[in-house]
Order: sequence, then structure tokens, then C-alpha cells
Amino acid sequence: MLELVFIFTALAGIFTLFLPRTISRIVLIAAGLIHLGITGIICFKGVPALWPDYFQTTPEGNIVLLVTSFLYLMVAIYTVSYMAETEMHNEPVFSACLLLFLAAMSMACVTDHIIVLWIAIEATTLMSAPLIFLHRSKEALEATWKYVLICSVGIALALLGVFFTLMAINSGDSNTSMTFHNLLKTAKGVELTWLKAGFIFTLIGYGTKMGLAPMHTWLPDAHSEAPSPVSALLSGALLNCAFLGILKTHSLLVASGMQWYSSQLLSWFGLFSILIAAVFMIQQDNYKRLLAYSSIENMGVIAFGIGIGGLAAYGAMLHLIHHALLKSSLFLSSGNMLLGFGTKKIRETGRMPRYMPRTFASFISGFAGISGFPPFGIFLSELFIIFGTLQQQAYLQAGIFLLSLALVFAGAAKAVIRISFGNFTGEILVQEKWRMVIPIYTLMATSVLLTVYLPQDIHDAITLAVNSIGGLIHG
Amino acid sequence: MLHLTDISLVLILLSVLMALGSSRIQELIRIMAFQGILVSLVPFLLERADRASSLDILFLLVFITIKAGVMPGLLWFASQKVAAKMELDPLIGYHASILTGLVLMLLATFISHNMQLASGDIHPLLLPAAFTTISSGLFLLIARRKALTQATGYLIMENGIYLAGSTLAQEAHTQFVVEFGILLDILVGVMVMGIIVHRISRSFDDADTMFLQELKG
Repeated sequence: MLELVFIFTALAGIFTLFLPRTISRIVLIAAGLIHLGITGIICFKGVPALWPDYFQTTPEGNIVLLVTSFLYLMVAIYTVSYMAETEMHNEPVFSACLLLFLAAMSMACVTDHIIVLWIAIEATTLMSAPLIFLHRSKEALEATWKYVLICSVGIALALLGVFFTLMAINSGDSNTSMTFHNLLKTAKGVELTWLKAGFIFTLIGYGTKMGLAPMHTWLPDAHSEAPSPVSALLSGALLNCAFLGILKTHSLLVASGMQWYSSQLLSWFGLFSILIAAVFMIQQDNYKRLLAYSSIENMGVIAFGIGIGGLAAYGAMLHLIHHALLKSSLFLSSGNMLLGFGTKKIRETGRMPRYMPRTFASFISGFAGISGFPPFGIFLSELFIIFGTLQQQAYLQAGIFLLSLALVFAGAAKAVIRISFGNFTGEILVQEKWRMVIPIYTLMATSVLLTVYLPQDIHDAITLAVNSIGGLIHG
Repeated sequence: MLHLTDISLVLILLSVLMALGSSRIQELIRIMAFQGILVSLVPFLLERADRASSLDILFLLVFITIKAGVMPGLLWFASQKVAAKMELDPLIGYHASILTGLVLMLLATFISHNMQLASGDIHPLLLPAAFTTISSGLFLLIARRKALTQATGYLIMENGIYLAGSTLAQEAHTQFVVEFGILLDILVGVMVMGIIVHRISRSFDDADTMFLQELKG
């Protein structure tokens, strides 16, 4: 039964509220292992749903679910060591919310019902808000308030978009369930004005959650104030779930012959996000905010690739996987740095090879990966996106894309060099430990592995997902 | 039944204008409760009133309880903890806000006039009322400084979206599960907002979002 993947996780989360500290830490990891197991069965064997009206596996959902589950397990292993090093208020609530957050994300991945997807995405906001507020500082309070308010309002607009879309594609048959699968079949004869309005609102709504500029303002705050393992999950898993909503609505527009409209919007929103992120990265003095802006940039890359379509869409799905792996590894590295240096300011860090050689290795190679150097997968995915763009003869967009990627690289490289080799005179507060770098290395090794060898199942899933928005060869 | 729907929708519009003009937070919450009852009634009056089953009525009661009882109650509870119960200097004044509300109403009527469904038989007042409520909620979010007022703005907006969605109410009973899920999400959202408002007022002595300007760049 498909629903087990989130029902089990939610129950485990509620259960942890009543457990003592030590056991709840074990539950975090055990639940992650079981979750990964169930996910594996769902993705590679296929499981029938108990309520097929609401829940169905989809190729794109499977990809995101697989990424989320693997990421969560690594983050959970890291979190247990992290919790031992820092003081945490109310640890049971933290563990419970972490599991409930995972449950909400899994629900978003396995549903195909247009409104249930909305419910799940809104639930992720609510479940992750207490996680950001963990350190209880005034800054954390501000970040949480902005996060909850901006995302709730954004997602409320997405609900309006969902209603508009449903009004546009009114099948007249009240017995069919409102899954994307059914909507796609009736998407031909639709009211175009309503469908356009629906897509605009959905894009703005889920785009807020995904971190597309100019609706991204909550993202740097929330990512920098949240504890590092939570930032890793927010950036690597949550943003992808919001992206699912946009992708599925986009597929409805493609099916109704309105592809030109949604593609244009997606690609320009994507480009704008990359540019905005590049501008803010150049003058950044907080390394967690730097990583957060890099997330905005990468979400922009994904939206851009999907908007261009064809080979670029394939690249975008690949980019989604590798960005999740690499960015979460970077956020976990930043957790080690924050523990060691005791500050998020770039100019108060330095001399990493001497004080934190293992974190240095992971941080610098994570940076190389996210900037698109081989052997990490972003090299391939960005190459696909560029080739796809050139194939479509969208030379202007390709130019802006390359230029802003170069700007991002310049901004990030400056900061990374300063962090790694700058002058640091203070003392390291917490020495790095093997158990806090192994999850990071595992994440990066997975990215390298997937670059060298992409399993046939995953390749098929990506191809199927891309087929729903126009296929690999078109235009 | 048409008359009752008309009356409810007009009353909703009136409550929106009242919300835009009220300076006291607790008065605002009372208006919210009133609006909650009306908004839950509209889909029922539109589609289900003439063939209401006991399940319909049960859901109607649950919706009214949550929208008009629990959610305003949570905000009321949070407002008890906040020192200042007045919004003293809003970013946009009350008279200007009411005027904006009227302009939004005109715009909403204009837009919904241009967006009629070819096949649909939507109640002529429904979409203007929904659009006005949504945009006024958004306006309240922007124009006020107190965290609680902003949370009410979010709720007003959510009410408007619910109204817009009630055109879909003729779908089968499976719809209830979904509607209930949406409501549950909003309820938890209000709860989380209430908790944060409480925290803000404890950390800064007042739940004013102007204090929240540390994070930049």
C-alpha cells in the first residue's frame, strides 16, 4: 500500500513526541531506514494504492521521493551527531517535526490529486516552521514569521490557481477524481483564459515556495537561520516538492496546447532567479545566505530547463537530483563550519585546510560540484540545458543563462576562497568528527556515482517525466 | 434560496469593508468570526441546500465551528497576550483603506465580468465577492504593521479563495474529504501563526513586525 510511506512516517513522528531523548534519536535514523526501504519498493517494484482516487505514483514524483528519502537518511545520521554538539530546546518537538516534515513531503510525492498535492505542500510549510525556530533567537523568530507568512500567502494563491485550473478543465462528470492523470485526458477542450490565470497563480504560489525570484525573499532568511541539517532538507528536498506542483500544472498546459505560454513564463522566471541570485551572491558576507542564494539560482536553472523543454528538460530533471545531493552536502559542511568557527560571517573564517581538513575537502569539492565541474553531475545537467537551449535556437536566453552562471561562479568563488584560505586567528570551538563528515561524503559520492552510472530505472523515470511535458525531441 | 445567497454575499462584502476600517484587533477578530459563518454558508446555499443530506449538514456545522469558532478563538487567545490592542499608526490609514476596498470591489467586478465561463452558470455576485475578499485580504497584509492584523489579513484572503472554490461545490461527496484537508491545513497555519505572534510579543514587548528587520541582503 502506497500510503504507508507517509502514514508510517507521520505516526513515527507523533510517537517520538512521547519518547525520551536517546530513543528519539534512534527513531530518527530507524524511521529514515524504513522510509528508504518503502521508497525503494515503491519506485522499483511498484505498489498499488489503497485510495487510487487520491494517491498514484508518477515518474516525477518517484524521482523526488527517492531523492528526499535518501537525503533525509543522511541528514538524520548527521543530525544525531549535531544534536550531541549543540544545545537544543525541546528536542522531542524537533524530532517529531522533522519526521512530520518528511511525511508531508512524501505525501506530496505520491499524490496525483491536484488538491491533495496542495494540501501536502502547505503541510510542509507548517511542519518545517518549528524547525527553523529551533534556536529561538530574535533572528530565528523573524525568519520563521517571514517564512510562514510569505509561504502561506503564496501557497494560498496557488490554491486559487488550482481552483481556476479546475474551472477551466471542467469535465462535467462529477464522479471522476481530480487527478492530474484524469485532467490530462480532458485538457483539450478548455477555457483558455481560466487556464492561463490558473497557471499564473500556480506559478506564483508554488514559485514562492520553490524560491523563484522575485518571490524568494523568505528563502535566504529561513535557510540561514535554520539549523544546518534543517537547511539541508529545506534546500534539497522541500524546494523540489514545490517544483512538482509547477511541473504537473505545466504538463496540463502542454496537453491543452498552451505550451508557448507556460514555457515562456517558466524560462523567464528561471533566468530572472539566476540573475537575482548572482547579484546578491557577489556582495554576500554570510556563508549560509550564500548557499541559500545558490539554491535560488539552481531552482532558476531547473525552471529554465523545464521551460525550454526537450533535451533541456531532461537536463533539468537531472539537475534536480544532483542539486539536491550537492546542496545538502554543502549545507551540512556549513554546519560543521558553524560549529567550528562559531560565526556565519565570511570574513571571520579562514584557514580551513589546517583547522578542518575533512570539512574543507567536502566544502571545496561541493563548491566545485555546484559550480558545474566534473565529475559531479551538475556538469552534465547544465551541459544538457545549454545544448537544449541552443537546439531550440533561443540564443538570447542561452546568452543570459551563461552570463549569469559566470557571475554566480565569480561571486561564489570569491567567498569560498576567502573562507578556505583567509586569515583566521581565533580558536576552533568544536573539532570536526568523522561521523559528521561521513554523511557529507556519502552524498557527494552518490552524485559522482550517478554521473558515471545512471541506473536504467532512473533514466526511464526521467524520460517518462519529460514525455509528459512534450518529450525529448520536439520543436 | 437565491435571496439568501445574495444576502450572504453582500454581507461578506460589507464585512470586508468593516475589516478594512477597524482599528481594534479584537473587533477585527469578531468581524472574522462573522465572515467565517457566511463563507461556510455560501457553498451550501448555492449547491446543496435543496437536496441536503444529513452528511451535508454535518459538514456545514463542522465548517462553521472551525471557521467562525476555532480560528477566531485562536487569534483571540493570542491577542490576549499582546500588549497593544490597537493598530495605532498603520502604514495606510483607515479611510484610505476603505476607499481602496471600494476601488478593489470595482476592479473585481470588472475582472469577473471579463472572465465569465462560457459553459458555467456561476452566481453573478460570487466571483466579484470572492475577488474583492482575496485582494482586500492581501491589502490588509501589506497595509498593517501588527503581526496579528497580518494574520487576519491572511484569513480573509483564505476566505475569499474558499468562496472562489465554492463554484466547484457541485462535485460529488469525495470533495468533502479534500475540503476538509484544506481547512485543516489553514487551521494548523493559524495555530502556528498564533504561537509565533505570542513569541514575537514576548521577545520584543509587542507584536509589531517593524521590529523584524534584522535580516537583509
